[in-house]
Amino acid sequence: MSRDFDICVIGSGAGGGPVAYSLAKAGYSVLVLEKGPWLKEQHFTKDELACCRRSVYTPELRDEQHVIEEAGEAGAWAATATAESGWNFWNGNCVGGSSNFMSGYFHRLKPVDFKLRSTFGPIAGANITDWPIGYGDLEPYYDRVERLVGVSGRAAKHANAEPRSSSDLPYPPTVEHPISSRIDQAAAALGFHPLQVPRAILSQPAMGRRSCEYSGFCGSFGCSSGAKGSARAALLDHAVATGRCEIRPHAKVFRISSDAGGRISSVDYHARDGSVQRVDARIYVVACQAIETSRLLLASVGARFANGLANNHAQLGRNLLFSAGGAGSGDMDFSDHDDAGIAALRQVGPFVNRALDDWYTFDEPQLGHVKGGIIEFLWDHPNAVVRAENAKWRDGELVWGKPLKRQLETWFRTDRTLNFEVFNDWLPNDNCFVALDKQVRDRWGNPVAKVRIGAHPHDQRVGRVLAEKGEQLLKQLGARRISSSVGPAPPPNLQAGGCRFGTAAENSVLDRDCRAHEVENLFVSDGSFMPTGGSVPYTFTIYANSFRVADRIIAQLGGPRAAPS
Amino acid sequence: MIRRSRPVATHNTVRRPELMVWRRGLVSRRRFLIEAAGGSVGLLFGLNPAAARSSFDPWPTLDAVLVQLLPSEPDSPGAAEIHALDYLRFVVNDTKVDREQRDFILQGNQWLDDLAKERHAQPFIALGSDTRDRLLRQITRTAAGENWLSTLLSYLFEALLTAPAYGGNTDRIGWRWLEYVPGFPLPGPGTRYPELPL
Repeated sequence: MSRDFDICVIGSGAGGGPVAYSLAKAGYSVLVLEKGPWLKEQHFTKDELACCRRSVYTPELRDEQHVIEEAGEAGAWAATATAESGWNFWNGNCVGGSSNFMSGYFHRLKPVDFKLRSTFGPIAGANITDWPIGYGDLEPYYDRVERLVGVSGRAAKHANAEPRSSSDLPYPPTVEHPISSRIDQAAAALGFHPLQVPRAILSQPAMGRRSCEYSGFCGSFGCSSGAKGSARAALLDHAVATGRCEIRPHAKVFRISSDAGGRISSVDYHARDGSVQRVDARIYVVACQAIETSRLLLASVGARFANGLANNHAQLGRNLLFSAGGAGSGDMDFSDHDDAGIAALRQVGPFVNRALDDWYTFDEPQLGHVKGGIIEFLWDHPNAVVRAENAKWRDGELVWGKPLKRQLETWFRTDRTLNFEVFNDWLPNDNCFVALDKQVRDRWGNPVAKVRIGAHPHDQRVGRVLAEKGEQLLKQLGARRISSSVGPAPPPNLQAGGCRFGTAAENSVLDRDCRAHEVENLFVSDGSFMPTGGSVPYTFTIYANSFRVADRIIAQLGGPRAAPS
Repeated sequence: MIRRSRPVATHNTVRRPELMVWRRGLVSRRRFLIEAAGGSVGLLFGLNPAAARSSFDPWPTLDAVLVQLLPSEPDSPGAAEIHALDYLRFVVNDTKVDREQRDFILQGNQWLDDLAKERHAQPFIALGSDTRDRLLRQITRTAAGENWLSTLLSYLFEALLTAPAYGGNTDRIGWRWLEYVPGFPLPGPGTRYPELPL
């Protein structure tokens, strides 16, 4: 039977990019459907309004939103639509997805992350399970990502370093801020072992992309130089150049149709002109970021799938993951420094590139031997308006006039705030899942995702231990006004799970190759596959796994058609 | 990675406050905003509702309020120098800003002016600076009034600290005052967000 394309990929971010790249390079025809626009380097500027104060790279919430269920009083769950709350769960709806806006902290998972259950045992109320693959299965793909996406750094000897097949990272570290060596000294004084953070940011021109230009504005902003390893700059541009990959922006897939045999027969999408379009392919790959991937599959009922595609065992949408932890900060006060010290603190552009993973696992009297996480150091986000917002209140009262101006001068001119972020596992549990909302619909009339965001209390206990270590380091650095906060609220930009992979259809959606147990021509290649999330940002692992899935798809199709180019 | 935290008001962010406290606060702020925009709340700024005056021009009052919120000084810019009023004209014509919020920005001026006339028998713009200030402090005692001023302050900060291409921060005067180093490239003609091929 003739099909429009060999592969149809739904979603163009870190999950979709490696599949599109690999399949096009292997000689197969690829269609990528992306709901957002196709913005390119020349469209991205350091614009606080566009990145962070208006819905420019994400939909207007009145058009497309989520319903968030939070723990309320007396065990009830309170649902709030995000158009009401303003709590935005979109992270980048454009070609390349949210990888356009990442900071590019590229830590690998460690071997222990693949076997939490067998290493640490069960935790009551948490659905912890080992992965069906081990670190060794993913390692070659981490290596591939470092080369093809472009990761800068140095693989130094380190107590908790992961095994590597290549001796070093392919690009030298990005230029570092003077604070980095001060962090090293403070850590050494405390007996901590800081590591140099690998970044998915090119430190020299390569692969048709420019080097980082060190504007100091990276996370939340699109990259104008092409140095950031977004799926768009690093992979999709190359896929399109093969002549075998077509990207269709403004194509919002709302249904995947399946036939009486349980195979996908076509997908339907809303085009920009309001029409509904249909395409078919031999293999379909869903990669819409965890929440939207579960939503699309739940909405795609068919003759064999009354409860959603690949959901005859009621596993779809369950065990959604975010990242647990929190954040802390301390002020590096200019009054504690001489002129040279102040000038060093004020430098804008170079990266901090320091993290602590000494407590990736740890023993603690109350908790026992547990999985921990990492602590990442970074300057306070450079956005100015959000900083000024802090200055408009004093003792619960609005401040304006000359007192406001003096407060702004203090907030901006007397110190620089160094932050840390704690990343630890968000334990999978029965109160964190995606369903379809029964009332709220998007602008095309389709039910939106309802997301229950229950967190396991263990996560906060672990996070608190790590945050105290972060505070210790800030204190050693001489920071003032040190504080930290660890809570149950999820960061919406760190999503995974919902379609966990495993060996049995009874308790997982995908098999070890990320093919749906119940649908032979369906793969899921975003972070949805993860049964446990590890305690580092997800993008690197999503990229690596998507390259692995691409190899399985190529094998299923009979191997490469074209010599690799 | 920047861990995105949750907003506390339409454009605010805080670092992970208590969950339900935040939710209640947010929903109630939002409700006040919408009800205020719909004109369904009496006693908005502590005043009996007056009949809407369709002829009322909100801009002179808004100009006066902005100057009160961010006054000019010899060594530092105020609303006048950053062209805050021009920036607010951009905001109220921007479809990327909620309709309710844009209406609210403009309607608040009339409520303030009504209050000025009730208390002082003069329009707001005819009052002296100290009287204006006291009146503004008075309206912060109502949720709608506090919300209105907080909203104006947020847009004043945008006028002070976002890229000059949007009409405020003339010649980077806000950045220079606060010794702030912006990123690059900055938006300009063709790359301001209303002009992007979205």
